[in-house]
Amino acid sequence: MKTLKMKRMGVSGVLAGLMLVLLAGEVLAHGERAQLASMRMRTVHWFDTKVEPLNVKVGDIVTVTGKLMTSEWWPKQMASIEDTVYLNIGVPGPTFLRLHSEVNGVPMVRSTAFPLGKVYEYKTVLRARVAGRYHVHPILNVKDSGSLVDKGTWLEVAESDSTAPFTNEVTTMLGDTIDLENYALGDVYGWHLVWLAIGIAYILYWLLRKELFIPRFIRVRAFGQDRANEIITKKDFVAGGVFFTLTLATILGGYLWAEHKYPITIPLQTGKVDVVPIEVPTGDLEVVVDSASYALAGRSLTMRVNVTNHGDSPIRISEFLTANIRFLNPNVTESEIYPGEEMVAKDGLSVSVDAVAPGQSVAVELVASDALWEQYRMTGIINDPDSRFAGLLFYYDDNGERFFQEVGGAILPAFF
Amino acid sequence: MNETQASEITASENKGRLLDMKSLDNPRAMKLYRRFDGIIILVLFMFLVLGIQIHFTLTAGDWDYWIDWRDRRWWPLVAPFSLLIFIGPFAYGLWARVRLPIAGTVITLLLCVVSWVSRYLNFYEFTHFPMSFVFPSTYIGLGILLDCTLLITRSLLVSAITGGALFGALVWPLNWSFMAASKVPVELNGMLLSVADLMGYQYIRTTTPEYLRIIEESTLRTFGGSVTPLTAVFSGLCGIVVYGLFLWIGARVNQLEIFSKRIV
Repeated sequence: MKTLKMKRMGVSGVLAGLMLVLLAGEVLAHGERAQLASMRMRTVHWFDTKVEPLNVKVGDIVTVTGKLMTSEWWPKQMASIEDTVYLNIGVPGPTFLRLHSEVNGVPMVRSTAFPLGKVYEYKTVLRARVAGRYHVHPILNVKDSGSLVDKGTWLEVAESDSTAPFTNEVTTMLGDTIDLENYALGDVYGWHLVWLAIGIAYILYWLLRKELFIPRFIRVRAFGQDRANEIITKKDFVAGGVFFTLTLATILGGYLWAEHKYPITIPLQTGKVDVVPIEVPTGDLEVVVDSASYALAGRSLTMRVNVTNHGDSPIRISEFLTANIRFLNPNVTESEIYPGEEMVAKDGLSVSVDAVAPGQSVAVELVASDALWEQYRMTGIINDPDSRFAGLLFYYDDNGERFFQEVGGAILPAFF
Repeated sequence: MNETQASEITASENKGRLLDMKSLDNPRAMKLYRRFDGIIILVLFMFLVLGIQIHFTLTAGDWDYWIDWRDRRWWPLVAPFSLLIFIGPFAYGLWARVRLPIAGTVITLLLCVVSWVSRYLNFYEFTHFPMSFVFPSTYIGLGILLDCTLLITRSLLVSAITGGALFGALVWPLNWSFMAASKVPVELNGMLLSVADLMGYQYIRTTTPEYLRIIEESTLRTFGGSVTPLTAVFSGLCGIVVYGLFLWIGARVNQLEIFSKRIV
């Protein structure tokens, strides 16, 4: 009876474990859902992110390009991106090599600073290093604020056709071609072995003796601190001198050897670079947010805006982007969805006015509604300490030219 | 406690100590002592391995993880401070109780071994960093110098001054033998980098951005830019203070009642 009960418990346990495994969602792991909703809405607006190609082999090149705009609604409680920021890439460790990265054409080896309310075009060139399936995210590391993550794109990296080990060769300014995968490891192993050998020899000198801890403790106690040094023998003293001299000689010898082998060296390099930002292409549309509300039950954000078209071409609102989620107006077909792109609500935006005619000033209601609000934990905006929102509004003129500008303001929850 | 009681305790204690000394001539007692010594070695080994690994990771971790963090000014200061804090109390205990000048060597040796295991398993096998980017530094030579100065001078004070100074001052030359290669210059997009900088850029660390590194940040910029020797002198002076301070803490800990019980 007892055995049967235990078997049942075992089967239940296995089933429970299986359910956990089967029901578990994808692990995205870079925080695209974890950060505060308002923080994602009001820090950096990432758009036009492209990862190409999506299927590669180890050794192949992958290019990540896109644009971002720094929000003028940046939360006051967060350290600003105007101080120090670093363009990074969110992949599981060095599964890729970063060969090149740039923002507005400036190489991004070092950190920089981004003024608010400006546009930046970035590019990162990677070389696949380890086979696997990876969720690749552009990331901005903002000093004292942490990482701001763009949405990810799944990338498949297959094993290389070649059986040769992966190499990463560069040529130094002295003309030597080196492989960074195992550069100078012979020196590292050799010198570590030397020091381990000397260290072990010193320890063994003290440990391989008849009287160690307890007998020595007894003698020290019996002699008292004044006479305790008597248990250090002349042989110990000589050994100490030998090890001391050998150690100093080895340090000096190693230093001179390295100076001879690598006569030209430089200190580690650091510093900040300047990036000239791009102005926001707002076009001829003036947008003023009148009010905004968030319907908890409907999972939708409603904006009432007053728009004025100062241009000579009709303008149609195509998209609202916030927290990396794209809400597209299905009546405007120009918006492009990139291969592998996530977080896109194709029919997510309804606009009360089809087109804003030249010279027209009109009140427009925009409703951004989709299950993505729930999926990406945007419903948490009602719990934020600063209930405001921000996002990018995209629109096209009659020539198919795209413009955008940031909109934002206070947001009120609608509970019923 | 009056004078008579105190002298009675001393007499009793002296008698015990004589008995302890006599036991050293007893082969059965010595056999037992050796077994206890084995247990002490095992316990000390476990404690020191875990202790130094956790302590060093928390206080000097990134400086030792990545070669593009080991600059000329901060790493030679941070690393010896961290180690001397841990070594000081053990050095005092082992010297005062058993006259064994081995704390510095044992701790730096164990740190080296456990660092290699950690770098190989955690950094190389598990997260795919090349060993050429994450190999550990060595401090074994400094530990030996620290212990040998104590052994030769037989004075904690003198060893704190000479050993502490050498420990702080020689971090850079000790490691230069295998670190110099990472400071060879390369060029990337018209920018001068060392090989270490280039590796830090190419081998992606998502949550360790470039600006986190503290590269030569300070105002000690005199003596014609001689950063390394100036840092060595400063680190040596600080080594004396830190080691002296933690020897003193070790002395205070050793005065606790728990350490004064008789063995036999």
